[in-house]
Amino acid sequence: MTQIARSTEARGPDFGLYVHIPFCHTKCGYCDFYSVALKDRDTGPLVRSVQRELETRLGRGSFKIRTVFFGGGTPTILPAEQLESVLASVTDSVSPDDLVEFTVEANPATVDDEKTHTLVRGGVTRVSMGAQSFWPEELATLERLHSPEDIAPSVSTLRTGGVDQINLDLIFGIPGQTLATWTASLERAIALEPNHLACYGLTFEPQTPLTAQRNAGRIVPCDENLEADMYLATVEHLASHGYEQYETSSFARPGCRCQHNVLYWRNGPYIGVGPSAAGCFDGRRYKNVADVAGYVRSMQDAGHAEAQVETVTIPMLITEMVMMQLRLVEGLDRADFVRRCQIDPLVQFGDVLERLVAIDKVAVTDDFIKLTPSGRLVADAVIGELTSASPTVERLS
Amino acid sequence: MADLSLIRNFSIVAHIDHGKSTLADRILEHTGVISQREMRAQFLDDMDLEREMGITIKANRATCPYTHDGREYMLNLIDTPGHVDFHYEVSRSLAACEGVLVLVDATQGVQAQTVANTYLAVEADLEIILVINKIDLPAARPEDIALEVEQVLGLDASEAVFTSAKTGAGIDELLAAVVERIPPPAGDPSGKLRALIYDAKPDPHRGVISHTRVFDGGFRRGDSVELVGVGRQFLITEVGKFTPKLGAVESLGAGEVGYFFAGIKTLADVNIGDTVTLAADPTDNPFPGYHPPQQMVFCDFYPGIGTSTEALREAMEKLWLNDSSFTYSTVGSDALGIGFRCGFLGLLHMKIIQERLERENAVSVVQTAPTVTYEIELTTGEVKRIESPSELPDASTMNEIREPFVKVQMIIPADCVGTVMQLAMDRRGKQKKTEYLSTTRVMLTYEMPLCEIIYDFFDKLKTCTRGYGTADYELIGYVVGDMVRMDVLVNGLPVDALSVIVHRDKAAVRGRKLITRLKKEISRHMFEIPLQAAIGSKIIARETIRAFRKDVTAKCYGGDITRKRKLLEKQKEGKRRMKTVGNVAIPQEAFMSILNPDD
Ligand SMILES: Nc1nc2c(ncn2[C@@H]2O[C@H](COP(=O)(O)OP(=O)(O)O)[C@@H](O)[C@H]2O)c(=O)[nH]1
Ligand code: SF4
Repeated sequence: MTQIARSTEARGPDFGLYVHIPFCHTKCGYCDFYSVALKDRDTGPLVRSVQRELETRLGRGSFKIRTVFFGGGTPTILPAEQLESVLASVTDSVSPDDLVEFTVEANPATVDDEKTHTLVRGGVTRVSMGAQSFWPEELATLERLHSPEDIAPSVSTLRTGGVDQINLDLIFGIPGQTLATWTASLERAIALEPNHLACYGLTFEPQTPLTAQRNAGRIVPCDENLEADMYLATVEHLASHGYEQYETSSFARPGCRCQHNVLYWRNGPYIGVGPSAAGCFDGRRYKNVADVAGYVRSMQDAGHAEAQVETVTIPMLITEMVMMQLRLVEGLDRADFVRRCQIDPLVQFGDVLERLVAIDKVAVTDDFIKLTPSGRLVADAVIGELTSASPTVERLS
Repeated sequence: MADLSLIRNFSIVAHIDHGKSTLADRILEHTGVISQREMRAQFLDDMDLEREMGITIKANRATCPYTHDGREYMLNLIDTPGHVDFHYEVSRSLAACEGVLVLVDATQGVQAQTVANTYLAVEADLEIILVINKIDLPAARPEDIALEVEQVLGLDASEAVFTSAKTGAGIDELLAAVVERIPPPAGDPSGKLRALIYDAKPDPHRGVISHTRVFDGGFRRGDSVELVGVGRQFLITEVGKFTPKLGAVESLGAGEVGYFFAGIKTLADVNIGDTVTLAADPTDNPFPGYHPPQQMVFCDFYPGIGTSTEALREAMEKLWLNDSSFTYSTVGSDALGIGFRCGFLGLLHMKIIQERLERENAVSVVQTAPTVTYEIELTTGEVKRIESPSELPDASTMNEIREPFVKVQMIIPADCVGTVMQLAMDRRGKQKKTEYLSTTRVMLTYEMPLCEIIYDFFDKLKTCTRGYGTADYELIGYVVGDMVRMDVLVNGLPVDALSVIVHRDKAAVRGRKLITRLKKEISRHMFEIPLQAAIGSKIIARETIRAFRKDVTAKCYGGDITRKRKLLEKQKEGKRRMKTVGNVAIPQEAFMSILNPDD
């Protein structure tokens, strides 16, 4: 995987392509992705704008796109013909020889035989499904639309239709959840034999209905200790079923890691298309206008929809590399860091790193700097320490 | 040369807010030196800070012509600082006078500063005119208050003058009393020059302006004078009077009050209380022992958020040129870096200096807990003074530690006597006197260790007297005490900036409090952090900051990178402002919170 970011082949580095489809049936209470409830909305104009951006950005095969990820939102919510044509826009401008992974996000009860067929025909190799929990109460707390019974049929529909790489998203730390209900959800997910599982601790994102409920005291967040236990149980349980943890929240059967995400975690170059999507390559990062109407208008008027642009300087890159690469179990690639940040990480992080090693939160190998199992539980604090280290700062005492 | 019998030199002393500045305005206005239009702000209380804190730090003044019974008098109003932190400065101003107006608010009655200042006036052997002010207020009880003053301070109530500095009522009677009752200056106009420097201030363009009162002889521009205490000679470049603006005159003679410039560059070159005499023909009778200001309270200032040590040093230097009554020297702390140990005349002085530093120089200051000077007698018999816990020698090398004691005078509502006595007892106070000023007000006199009142005593007193209690204190000497150094250990390491010297009996309580506060300020880390208070190797209080078990962002993908990186950058900024001891980040607020008198 590390090769993705490091490739120096003739046609330049390996790229990822992200396409954002900002529609969902209804909005889940905890979600802070940019998406809007579909209602009777006509998704046509948005899809056409996305296609236009795809054409503009990709040109004719000038990037070596290795992975594609359709996220949202719920891309599978699009009418079949729109889905088909937007997938086609991608395959038109991406060389099939380059492509190693093509993922689309889906939700239970949004895929049927026809949609599955459309996906497979459009080149999709992998579906990531938001299962979240197998308990109705927990799904209700999350304000998810589907019920536990929808999950298995959706998985089998996909499989029958020819999608054999399947990820299930699950959430732990849901208010009211117990260690028992969580492991039961895990069990039921494993029983469906996905080759990838993503288990996320529930996050109270600012300005979400769930956070508002917590602030109003209507729901009580999961106890920190219980959440830690759930996490540890997850790692252990999934390992015993052959799912290897390779990132903070990601577990995969051998050879089934999500290449697209690994590219993010290796700070690789990516192109983003669609409302609120971000892209970053050649030291430049952009983020598109988020709202659908604004995006469509921008695409029409200006031919692009970039709302924010930043130049990624080396100090920024240092922070980003620590923040992203420490998420990987493998850790921060020392050689990659030296090459891109032009400083030895051992010098950059100096005594801060030594202290973290001394308290067994971080381990340093010849090639990597990585979190220890105990460090992984407090990854943010470790990352905060490392990114606060500044070798150039004068020390007063 | 002025006729001495036509000169009157006097000051006003009062408790804060009793109307001293307003009365000064009225006097200036009634004598016509300043018109109603150009009132106030320009001339009196020229520093914002003084105005906000309701005190007068540096004197303001005017020479006012006044006609009485057909004779033209020269009234010299000499202003004094209001607070006894500036005890010495007050006493020097009073030394320049023959009389003083003791001003008392007709609704408030005698307060602690009234008492302290009156004692100073009595000590200086001045004629005292009791002035009961604010008689225009509906709640005024002038006669009762006059009787109260008679009772407490022994001033004759029947001779009191009643005024309203607001409406101007009684001001003429007051000015008449000044002329009739305050004696004219004595002194020999043709003797050898003997003048007192009772105040000095920096002047933006001309070095230092010295405020002076001539006792004998006189001097003029071009004279070469000697400052006896400093032992240096200067050439007088300007002589003048306060009109109240600076007004140059030919000369100042015996009995007169005014100013001079003499090429004195900084405040360090002049001492308040010093004698000015002619270099060619010096007096044999200089004023007795002016003494340098006595710093009683000490604390360290460290550069705070966004301030460099250099910027703080510059700010201190600049302020010191304005007020050389505080001292500072460089100190180093493992926890806080390079800073300054500062000495102050008192608590209020400390607060003023800190605020002026921050306000006038846009620096931010982290202040450590105030401490006092201790006298240490070593086993060798040598006696030395220490100003900081770090200087305390090993117990085995000391015979004894002596701590400064002060006399504290508190005036409080009678129904609060119980609680206040409890408070004073908690602070190791020894009760000396209880006097009833009236059926509802009591004056308590205590002797207390200074270190017990610099902490939060006055705030506590205010709270337990519903805001009515007032207090003042005065150093009386050093007394042997069972003092120990209490260290604070964070994660097993002592944090030097948090060490304090405390009485052994108080250590446990103080230690627990300190550590509880610290616990609130330090956020949880990846590991458990023990907090301990210790005397030597003995732990007397302990708390633990639990480690957090889980702190990890569940998701992070391409679209989130900028936002999450910005959070980390912010966190990095925040960490810069923390002091790291061992592996523990201690926010600067923690050092400040130790000072908060909130529980
Ligand atoms: N009603 C009334 N108010 C007064 C009188 N003298 C002063 N004050 C008010 O009392 C407050 C304090 O007066 P000030 O002269 O600043 O007091 P200082 O702190 O002693 O200088 C101000 O609000 C004045 O306006 C007075 O005779 N009558
Ligand atoms: S389905 Fe997914 S993207 Fe849509 S609202 Fe729910 S969590 Fe957000």
